[in-house]
Amino acid sequence: MRIEVDWTRCDGHGMCALLLPENIGSDAGGYPVLHDRTVPRETMRHARRAVATCPALALRLERE
Amino acid sequence: MTALQAPATPTAYGSARLLAGVTHGGRAELALHRTLHGPQQHRTQGVLVSETATVRLLGRGGAAFPVSTKLAAMRTGSSVEVVVNGSESEPASHKDRTLMTVAPHLVIDGALVVARALGTRRVTIAVHDAAAHASLAQALQERRRLEPHPERVVVRLQQDRFVAGEVRALLNGLEGRAAVPPGRRTLPSDRGLHGAPTFASNAETFAQIALLVSLGVRGFTGVGDPREPGTTLLTVAGDVPVPGVVEVPTGLPLDALLRPDGVHGPVLVGGYHGRWIADTSGLRATRPLLREAGVPLNAGVIARLPEGGCALAEVAAVSSWLAAQSAGQCGPCLFGTHAVAQDVAALLRGRPAPDVTARLRGLVGRGACAHPDGTAAFVGSALASMTEELLVHAERGGCGRPYLGVLPLDGLHS
Repeated sequence: MRIEVDWTRCDGHGMCALLLPENIGSDAGGYPVLHDRTVPRETMRHARRAVATCPALALRLERE
Repeated sequence: MTALQAPATPTAYGSARLLAGVTHGGRAELALHRTLHGPQQHRTQGVLVSETATVRLLGRGGAAFPVSTKLAAMRTGSSVEVVVNGSESEPASHKDRTLMTVAPHLVIDGALVVARALGTRRVTIAVHDAAAHASLAQALQERRRLEPHPERVVVRLQQDRFVAGEVRALLNGLEGRAAVPPGRRTLPSDRGLHGAPTFASNAETFAQIALLVSLGVRGFTGVGDPREPGTTLLTVAGDVPVPGVVEVPTGLPLDALLRPDGVHGPVLVGGYHGRWIADTSGLRATRPLLREAGVPLNAGVIARLPEGGCALAEVAAVSSWLAAQSAGQCGPCLFGTHAVAQDVAALLRGRPAPDVTARLRGLVGRGACAHPDGTAAFVGSALASMTEELLVHAERGGCGRPYLGVLPLDGLHS
């Protein structure tokens, strides 16, 4: 699966960077910096939690 | 402001095809158009896919996507929408509004070819320019009187914001919503205008399709570079022998348009989402070649700054304009483009901007549309190709040359 950000929704809360540091960092404004869009099976649980936690519903997982 | 405006009459290098009959001024009304290009013809979807593939026709809006691939992916039927994107929301570009103003019937012919091939009667032409709108409306009236067609062609005058010209933003605008790009990536061919499968392309693309149908594959490929045969429209601005809209055979060396005197200096290729390049020798007006050279042609704007003006001031002015053009939907674009514009303003005054490289990197791939990426390309390449100017500004706080405003910032109302 691949992580996607809807930049029109993202408000830079920064939860995704805390919950999925394997894929996501954050910039000075708190907006996510995607290191790697591909989510391996081992961290899928973290990715799903990050998607569910995003207060702006800006994060989603898409089939590659 | 002393922005160099496109002259009213476009020019052709070599034989005019799109601009046939209008390079001495005027407008090709229906009778003249038919004399020049022959009767309206049609093709099946299969034949049109095959012919556009044979002539390697690429979209003329900016992305240079193969027309045949886009056509082949289209479903057919009466609900399909054909959208002619004539918005040309980039102030430096004049080629689409000029084409639609002087040769409106060529654009309409092409739209009707595509509509018939896809089995639909629904055609929308979206423009931002009032003169182009008037000319198209007049052209449709001429057809109603002299040459009625079953297709319903609607011309719509749309918002003129820069990002409003992006195809998905344009579709939003046509549906009465804010003309901003949606956050989810959808293809218009799947879900476009009013949710219907939509074939959307740039105005010049449709005119090229009309030419292809009129000239046939052999006639169409008779001029130009074999990698992208035919001609292309460009807008050439600044200190050049012939400024304004030009039709050139593809493969023409850029230096023929820019600097017959051989003097070098940074040249902007591809407009405000394009790139600056210090040396244009060896570059030719062929999309695949320019893409390989790292300076994609985009919508065909090429500009050379006069030596008497401050190049960095031009870059700073466009940087501020680009920041103001952010739709404000996406944080990294809204904050990033403004921060980058302030960095360029600092460099212009000879102050350091230590974070500019990181800020430019932070724009790439972080928006709903290509505006942050395009802004990063424009500013990043400017800083990379103007190292001498930057040094002079850093040492002396400026170069002493005036801001000339060669790169227009509001071409739609000037």
